[in-house]
Amino acid sequence: MVSPLLILAAGLGAAFLLGLLRDSSERMAFYLTVIALGFMSFVGLSWTVSLALGEAQPVEIYTAGARPPFAINLRMGLPEAALTSVVTLTGLLSAVFMRRDLMRLGRRAMAVLMVLIMALSGLIMTRDLFNLFVFIELIVIASAGLVLLSQDTRALGAGFKYLIVSQVISILLLVGVIFTYHANGSLNIDDIAATPMGFTGASLAIFLVLIALVLELKPFPANGWALDIYEAAHPGFSALFSAASGSAALFAVLKLFEAAGPDWAPLATGIGLVTFVGANILALAQDHDRRLLGYSSVGQIGLVLMVVGYGYDWDAGLYYVAGGLLISHAIAKAGLFWLSGLVKARKLSDWAALRQNPALVVAFATFIAMLTGLPPFPAFYAKWTLVHAMADYGDYPLIAIFLIAALIEAAVLFRWFGMAIKREAIRPLAYNLSHETVVLIAMTAGWALSFVWGAISGLDNLVTLVPLLFALLFLPLDILPARIKNVIAIAGLVLWFFLSKDGLDPLRLIFLTIMVLGGALLLLASFHAKGRRMGFYTPAMLMFAGMALLVTAETSFQFFAAWEFLTVGSYFLILRGHDSEPHALSYITFSLGGAFALLAGFAVASEGQFVIPLANLSEVAPEIAPYVFVLLAIGFLTKTAIMGLHIWLPGAHAEAETDVSPMVSGILLKAGLFGLFVLLMEMGRQELYGVDLTVLLVWLGAISAFIGAVLAAFQEDAKRLLAYSSISQMGYAVFGLALMNHLGWLLAMMFAINHFVYKSMLFLAVGGVKERTHTKLMYKMGGLITLMPYSFVSVLVGIIAMSGVPPLSGFGGRWIFYNAIMSTDLRLPMILIFMAGPVGFLYLFRLIHTIFLGQPKDELRKVKEAPFWIILPQMIFVAFLIAFAALPGMVLQRVDGYIGTLFGDRPLVWTGRIIDSQYGTWNPVAIWGVIIVVFVTVLLLLVWMNHNAQHVKQFNIVFSAERPFKPQTTHFAWNFFAPYRKAMGFLEMPVSTSFWTGVSNALHGTAEFSRKFYTGNGQTYAVQLMLFVVAVYLISMGASS
Amino acid sequence: MTAFPNFEWVQIAYALLTLFIVINYGMVMTAVVRKIGARVGGRYGIPVWQNYVDLLKNIALRSKISHGVMYYLGPVFRLTGGVGLLMFVPTIYGSEWHQNFSYAGDLILALYFVFFGTLGMALGAGESGHPHSAIGVSRGLAQVTMAELPLALGVYALSLQYGTLDITKIVAAQQGSIFNWTLFTNPLATVAAMVAFVGTMMRSPFDVAMAPQEIPIGPPTEYHSSYLALMQTNRVLFPVAKTVIYMNLFFGGATSWAEFAIKVFCLYMISVVIGVVHPRFRVEQSIRFFLKWGLPLGVLAILTV
Repeated sequence: MVSPLLILAAGLGAAFLLGLLRDSSERMAFYLTVIALGFMSFVGLSWTVSLALGEAQPVEIYTAGARPPFAINLRMGLPEAALTSVVTLTGLLSAVFMRRDLMRLGRRAMAVLMVLIMALSGLIMTRDLFNLFVFIELIVIASAGLVLLSQDTRALGAGFKYLIVSQVISILLLVGVIFTYHANGSLNIDDIAATPMGFTGASLAIFLVLIALVLELKPFPANGWALDIYEAAHPGFSALFSAASGSAALFAVLKLFEAAGPDWAPLATGIGLVTFVGANILALAQDHDRRLLGYSSVGQIGLVLMVVGYGYDWDAGLYYVAGGLLISHAIAKAGLFWLSGLVKARKLSDWAALRQNPALVVAFATFIAMLTGLPPFPAFYAKWTLVHAMADYGDYPLIAIFLIAALIEAAVLFRWFGMAIKREAIRPLAYNLSHETVVLIAMTAGWALSFVWGAISGLDNLVTLVPLLFALLFLPLDILPARIKNVIAIAGLVLWFFLSKDGLDPLRLIFLTIMVLGGALLLLASFHAKGRRMGFYTPAMLMFAGMALLVTAETSFQFFAAWEFLTVGSYFLILRGHDSEPHALSYITFSLGGAFALLAGFAVASEGQFVIPLANLSEVAPEIAPYVFVLLAIGFLTKTAIMGLHIWLPGAHAEAETDVSPMVSGILLKAGLFGLFVLLMEMGRQELYGVDLTVLLVWLGAISAFIGAVLAAFQEDAKRLLAYSSISQMGYAVFGLALMNHLGWLLAMMFAINHFVYKSMLFLAVGGVKERTHTKLMYKMGGLITLMPYSFVSVLVGIIAMSGVPPLSGFGGRWIFYNAIMSTDLRLPMILIFMAGPVGFLYLFRLIHTIFLGQPKDELRKVKEAPFWIILPQMIFVAFLIAFAALPGMVLQRVDGYIGTLFGDRPLVWTGRIIDSQYGTWNPVAIWGVIIVVFVTVLLLLVWMNHNAQHVKQFNIVFSAERPFKPQTTHFAWNFFAPYRKAMGFLEMPVSTSFWTGVSNALHGTAEFSRKFYTGNGQTYAVQLMLFVVAVYLISMGASS
Repeated sequence: MTAFPNFEWVQIAYALLTLFIVINYGMVMTAVVRKIGARVGGRYGIPVWQNYVDLLKNIALRSKISHGVMYYLGPVFRLTGGVGLLMFVPTIYGSEWHQNFSYAGDLILALYFVFFGTLGMALGAGESGHPHSAIGVSRGLAQVTMAELPLALGVYALSLQYGTLDITKIVAAQQGSIFNWTLFTNPLATVAAMVAFVGTMMRSPFDVAMAPQEIPIGPPTEYHSSYLALMQTNRVLFPVAKTVIYMNLFFGGATSWAEFAIKVFCLYMISVVIGVVHPRFRVEQSIRFFLKWGLPLGVLAILTV
């Protein structure tokens, strides 16, 4: 092995060599820089690989031929090797990225860069406190020099402020070093560790050292000086500053906190947490991309600092968690800063320019997913482990604060991503092959490390999951025409269904059928799309992958990872809609909030394990079980959009594309329902403060069923109407589940199947109409029945089925419902359900009347029937609905039997085609028989009497002896239920929306207020820094006494 | 024929007989009611056979137009709704002839099938393109959302009381004495349901859906000739079929056609009497009425059962 010392030697040597070159030979200087950085990276990487594979042992390097404390020693273990690799590789890539500016400024700038990378590597490896100080001084000076690379005039001011504050920090550090030496007699970190000073008389010494190092991490709120650098410096340098300097400084902090002993660990935890929360809240108010990245860097480093303090005694676990977070931060942040170099303008929305190059959009998405801790990236494993450890220690408030801050961070980042996808760029991409290559290398590194982290996690290696790989396969395939990709996608889904269906219980089998085969069926509608339809199939398949994995998940980890996959996939899908930017953001924010509740729930339930089989949820200790129940239920109810957590749904479902709406409504909502099934199956009834939580669920379901229906009746937008209707329908299903009896569950199952069928069908029909009329506003339509007869039929069948009118399958749901409520003691919630039923008629009639009946509009007289591929799945659904209504037993009988094994009863008797309960009978074939015979007889009678009726033209109506001539004034459609609104309009009060808007405004307000501290004045920043130090000192001393 | 237990072709004949009796009863009864109304108002009123005359006149009308397929099917849905409802409910307790096809389902089937005709007719009226039809439907639907609520609660209370959803069993449980009627064993549920009954009989004060003065006859505005004939048939059949359900659930059912005739007439007269002495409610007024009176009664009924 090459001596690690060569990293330092190569850096210094190259810097000196650069000094010997002529000013005019910039090209040679640059190559020398790159070669030296390449060599340094090689050394770092070779050590990392050898140490990781166990082929090499950690080494201690003694300088000057003497042992410490008489000389300095350096260490090369796995963490050091990994971090020097990060630093040197970032240096190398940034050098390539900054090539033009480095060449412009010449060899001196390159020498400064070499010194910076060398010093950062030294900072990582050294075990001597004074040496550490020296390296920090070198880093400060080199950083200040490199800031000037930027052509931004503010860089000069930023560099100067940085120098001022850094000197204050250096003084603190130096004083601390002197005191420490005085107290300890050695500056070797390991010697200090041997006799930790704790809160003894010499506490000030170690405090000064620690706080100085922490200040290097730019903790909130004493970090204004650093943010100006991020904003003004060259993006190549900002990448270094964030990824390399941040990581190195963090490792220095880690070394010193380890040495200082456990007494000081809460200091790191506290400052880290405050920084993570504060930085993310402040990031909310940013619309300058690099400043936002600056805040995000501060936040991420704060998070790792928190982990350093919190997990000081975890040994390898600490490195796994902190390393996962740090490596995700380093790659993503460097990648984003490099990307920002390709974007010419500095507003967040200007990142829309990236759309010119799909590979860069994928890179952007990858970096954001890495920062947010989404699977399969290292931060995901880290976050999972961290929250489980926190739960094990019983630090529940800490989990809450951490997850809320993480959610704010996700919201900030996804808002940005949404802008990049939906807005228009004012300036084109600054295209540059080497810049793009650097970005793509970072992205590849991110995926590669996902594999590494998965492999060493001891959990499932997510990046190797077949469904995920199948989804990713569509990234390279995106150049193919959409139709070919559609065939592949459908084939994949069908194949996966047959591969995974064996061994599932009937309940799971039905969910798998809806989610995977149903997905394949809905994808038929996607044949309608023309061209390539870039960026559709990867998210769609990611969503379906998540759902397929969810149903077959056996452990909490598999379940959660699948949940995140389907959430992210559906977010990207929803974002594709024309006006869906704010709605997609609201969707992902609520969904991730729900997901974090799940994470917390699983963590609390795991009781010291890092993963539990889902079946073990039934064995959670009774004193924590209700809390687990609440957390998991919140997660699932967010997905089913229970009233209060529903505000994301109408926009997300209504603004999605024609074939996406049925996927996210008909299929995706079932994921929440499936979760509730699992939850109730495993945990059963739980009581919290004497309240039976399932009763609470019954109420929530009933309220959703009712209010959802009322709100649906007041919509003018057809897709929004359907979206609110979904809230109502899911309310019924939640209600049924929470009844906790056999028939209640069967009811929920019936709703799951029915809702999938008729909501998919209706969304497709309405989507097809929108394709032709280019509007979703129902009052702008009318009289389309003759122009779009197939769409009309599918809406007609859909609304009859949904309203529960016999003979279609909705009636079966109602019949089971009545039988279910006969066997429960709950009475009052039924009132809401009884009210919800007829209100359903309001919105259903409105849907069909205002679109298809009434007066056709002049501009829509020539619209054609919806495209064939959109009609085809609808007709399949129509056939299914009719078959299912006549023969419900083909699906329900097995499920009924299975639910019977869970509850140990058999309330339904299936005799042939007749279903009997203790209370009544349901004979679907007879119902069909009677209705068809009567209907046909009456029809024949009418035809006999009235076969010669003359078909009249529009407006030939009895209209007070006048003839109306404007469809707009004759088509009664807008505000259709005005009288109902007069009576029940108070239910429309946007209580939930106001609440969540208030939460959002409060956060933004806090951010705006806190921004006032960042005056841009270097002296103010220095004073703030000192005040921060004093405050932290007083708090920590106060806390320890 | 597993779906049709003990099916014999003669059941069809029995069912047709029931239908025949009920339609004719409805024809005469509604005419008699109008006549009574007229006499109370000091007018002479129509002859009792007037409904037959109207029916024949409409069928014989030569000018017939159509606004489209759904318009054409509207009356078919409407009458199927009425006939089907009658077929799904046993008419005469204990009579083998008049059980109809009630084995197809139970009370829930009847309650939900009520909407079949309403929905179909509303769709047909919608296609006519007449704004008054749509206005009528909008008002009718808005009103029915709350009008049906007390019934649903009453029915829930009563099925909890009898522990069954089977109409025949509910009637059976009321036999023996007048005091076995639900009216006496569960007066709250009965009163609640009767609020709904009055609310859905399309009579004043709850007839804003038809509103003869403001939106000439509401949903059926555009219907004429044989369409109207079918709807007229339904208009005499449907209220009787619906009243039969109330009679079965709350008033001991009927063991003979005579008992049937009396009970249905008396029940029907409740809505008539209330109707002639009350002016019409606007939709929001009737919704508030049902919320203020029907809902609390229904809630009390399900809480006390």
